[in-house]
Amino acid sequence: MRKIESKYSDHPIRRFFIRQSLDHPKRTIFVSLLVTVIMASGLQFFTIDDDMLKMMPEDLPSRMSWDDIQDEFGSTEVIFIAFGHEGQDGFHPDALAKMWDLSEALEASHWVDEVTSISTYTRMDNYDGFMEIDDLQLDRILSQDKANDIRFYLDKNDKIKKQLVSQDGDYLVAIVQPFDSIEMVGFVSEVKAIADSLLIGYDVHYGGQAYFTGIMPPMIRDDVRGLMVAGMIIMIIILMLNLRNIAAVAMVITVIILSLGGMMGFMGWMFRLTGSGKFLFTLANTSMPIIMLTIANSDGVHVMTKFFKEFRVFKEKRHAIASTMDSLLIPIFLTSITTVAAFSAMTTSPLEPLIGYGITISAGIFFAWFLSSTLLPSLINLKKWDPNSKAMTTKSIFEKIIDKLGKLVLTHPKYIFSTGLLIVIIGIGGLLKVSVDVDISKFFKEGSELRNSMDFLGEKMNGTIDLRVRLEGDMKDPVILKNMTKLQNRLEEFPQVRTSYSIANVVEQMHRTVMDDDPAYETIPESRDKVNNLFTMYSMSGDPDDFSTMVDYDYSVGLVTAFSTNLSTHEIFKIVDATQKFMDTVFPVSMPTNFTGIIVITRDLINLLIESTIFSIIFSLIIIGIIASIFFKKILWGALAVIPLTSAVLINFGFMGYFGIELSHVTAILSSIIIGVGVDFAVHYIAQFRRLSRTIGEDKLSREVVDDVGYPIILDAASNMGFGALLFSAFVPIQYIGGLMVFAMVSTSLGTLTVLSALAELLKKKLIERKTQ
Amino acid sequence: MRFTLLALFITMAWGQTGIDIAKMVDDKVLPKDMSNTTKMVLTNSKGKTRTNMMMSKSMDGNKKQIIWFMAPKDDRGVAFLKIEHDNKDDEMRMWLPAFKKVRRISSKRKGDAFMGSDMSYEDLTNRDIADYDYNRLDDETINGTLCYVLESTPRTSANSTYSKHLSWIDQSSLTILQEHSFDKRGKLKKEKTFKYQKLKDYFVMDQVYVKDVQKNHSTEVTFEKLEVDSGVKSALFQEKNLKRIPR
Repeated sequence: MRKIESKYSDHPIRRFFIRQSLDHPKRTIFVSLLVTVIMASGLQFFTIDDDMLKMMPEDLPSRMSWDDIQDEFGSTEVIFIAFGHEGQDGFHPDALAKMWDLSEALEASHWVDEVTSISTYTRMDNYDGFMEIDDLQLDRILSQDKANDIRFYLDKNDKIKKQLVSQDGDYLVAIVQPFDSIEMVGFVSEVKAIADSLLIGYDVHYGGQAYFTGIMPPMIRDDVRGLMVAGMIIMIIILMLNLRNIAAVAMVITVIILSLGGMMGFMGWMFRLTGSGKFLFTLANTSMPIIMLTIANSDGVHVMTKFFKEFRVFKEKRHAIASTMDSLLIPIFLTSITTVAAFSAMTTSPLEPLIGYGITISAGIFFAWFLSSTLLPSLINLKKWDPNSKAMTTKSIFEKIIDKLGKLVLTHPKYIFSTGLLIVIIGIGGLLKVSVDVDISKFFKEGSELRNSMDFLGEKMNGTIDLRVRLEGDMKDPVILKNMTKLQNRLEEFPQVRTSYSIANVVEQMHRTVMDDDPAYETIPESRDKVNNLFTMYSMSGDPDDFSTMVDYDYSVGLVTAFSTNLSTHEIFKIVDATQKFMDTVFPVSMPTNFTGIIVITRDLINLLIESTIFSIIFSLIIIGIIASIFFKKILWGALAVIPLTSAVLINFGFMGYFGIELSHVTAILSSIIIGVGVDFAVHYIAQFRRLSRTIGEDKLSREVVDDVGYPIILDAASNMGFGALLFSAFVPIQYIGGLMVFAMVSTSLGTLTVLSALAELLKKKLIERKTQ
Repeated sequence: MRFTLLALFITMAWGQTGIDIAKMVDDKVLPKDMSNTTKMVLTNSKGKTRTNMMMSKSMDGNKKQIIWFMAPKDDRGVAFLKIEHDNKDDEMRMWLPAFKKVRRISSKRKGDAFMGSDMSYEDLTNRDIADYDYNRLDDETINGTLCYVLESTPRTSANSTYSKHLSWIDQSSLTILQEHSFDKRGKLKKEKTFKYQKLKDYFVMDQVYVKDVQKNHSTEVTFEKLEVDSGVKSALFQEKNLKRIPR
């Protein structure tokens, strides 16, 4: 191989990198591939999980209470199965026979700890002073009279009825509880397979936290696969339109695929080595591969377009590569550093998956930089390029657009800046309208099977969203039991809370039964001895496990459970705050109480989201400002670098407000992505401004900078339209991310070429660095 | 003649068939009555325990039984009376001192746990030989004691909650030392071990340990102050005697 005469670069590190590509391309490619294989081998440990609880910090009080409850009362994450026919009575012998079969089949499964349904429930009756505890459904095949008898019993015991039947009585409900600490995907798959095979011909609906935890991973996996394909297709089309060279596109795609494999493998390795839930791939991570794809693409596009440009000038490959890498190694490294800085803000998030997201994508970004700086120039070096090809000799449509844009910006800098400012002000107006909501039902498209099921359960059933209060104290003390019923009554005052139950209800029912089924005695007895006698009597014929979901073995911890329909964020805060206040007045300070359940955890998640989003935006902007100030040796550059980003973030949240897109744990990462990806444009602009300012006069400087970096920036942004692939996601918030990111790419790239460019033009006297004469 | 001798030899060597063993166990002479103080310790899957102390008197092979609760303090005074009938539902009554009421209790569900223990009413009831099919398996030694191993499969008439039992029976005393009971799905449900002491001419059970392997819950029952054939009167098994703990 012929060596070029001049030295590759005047900087030793840059020189080292360039030498690897020019003098040892095959070795460099081998080493790059070897590193990729090592990293990607972690894919075997890559795990998809989407348990809302695993997102929460382990020391969060509501999560700790939740864990305590799981330990004491078994898994509280359940699947609700409702089946029946709209407008037809659920208390039909055929439907009850089906429920019998379903309950038996589910109980036979090694995944299932307990099934609560009409077929498994126990009834308590009094016949002439005879306390009888028996099965609510005695046989599989019942006469209509026997079925009506069950209805009559449930009408008398409304709290039980609300758990087992829909509000209008059309649908029967089975509540399926898994064994604690089992894998939810297998559990849900098993339960669904059993129910689907038995309930043919019935209208069947599924819901509950366990159902969503179990059904999400396969959905996420399918979604990511689809998105990756769509993203790749979009990127290849855009790259082909602009680079107009199959080999060049293939090289960029190679860098993208290897970066992606390395990043996902890194996540697998981290999960294997740390065992931390931070490195589980959740719904919030769904956008991660597409983001990695765009970042790797960005690095590749810059290298490839710069190479084309230099090749036109030098007409000689090795010179062009040396010149390309000499001018791009620092900017690409700097954009990687600043992008990592933006994403590393996510590691301060209180939400576990966002921490893992930040760490993993940071590793991916560094890996993409490594491949773009070593593998890509080596591949370019091995290829024989035709200097007379159309790609080399003619400008693409993007380059022509940039020419016109550059003239517009530089002719009217103040006008452009004012327009940008106006858009930002409009954006701030929408900012105040941004609402926070993590209602999982809204993650699915309206009309989708899953959304329909959730809406059905929300409207027809008596609630699937739980609220739990754990109480420590003597659960045979009438005062405590009465306070538990007061708490339940308070909860049921909220129209969204459809039902609640606790051991106090069982005591009331036993009391009535013992007192000859007199409804006047459906109360908590006045003395502790009486309460104790009731429990002792029950133990003579009832199963001790009958109360295991309501009171612990020692009767020293009780659990009040309430179920509500789907709630808005406002309703969640209202219910949680009012309940907490009520508990503070009813239960003495000496009596430990813990308040949890999906409702409370959602409230905490919302608070954490707001806190982490605001913090990560401020943190990443400050870090990027500092890094830019240090690298470009001027605080003013640091400030200018963050201006287009700040504007883009404000406009993004403004749009979210105007269009009613809610901030959730999925969309919360938007600000980091916008800052992380958008900062590249500013860095490229500033680096080129400084570089050219040393040789080009003030009058022509901005024009030349825009001319030089405008094309790769626009091409970069256009290639990043791969984000548009997210619009094809099955999950609504991911679609929002896709749409908003497409918009953010436009706003940050144009913001750089207009607002930053206009500001640099206005402040050029302070920014231009002249070498000492 | 040679064949007859061979058959006799096989019978002596192999011993009895399953049904023979079941009959031998069933034919054992039982005490006319029995009195004891019962300590029952329940342990759940998390290692938490509950302890009950009771005084019990029974006769007719436990067909009539009266139990007075002594401890824990909360339960002191509660009493329970059971009279089994062959041709009608068993009678079960309970004295609730706080309510000052005697209440009848249902015994419809044979699988229901007795007093929150791992023993169901079915476990506590003597098995009717005619309700089971028996199969003798290879003999085994338990703690140095040679045992028959008997497989008992309930017939429909037994209305059992189990699919089968495996019992290890001491060949010399004909007492059951160990038993495994399997649920309707054929999965092991309970492991039971029994210990005995000899009182008068009877081998009287003085300790039972039952573990529900599916729930990981166990029950240990120890019978103390055991007395047999002490002249317990049939008149004791009346509702009025529930209300006062005997001295």
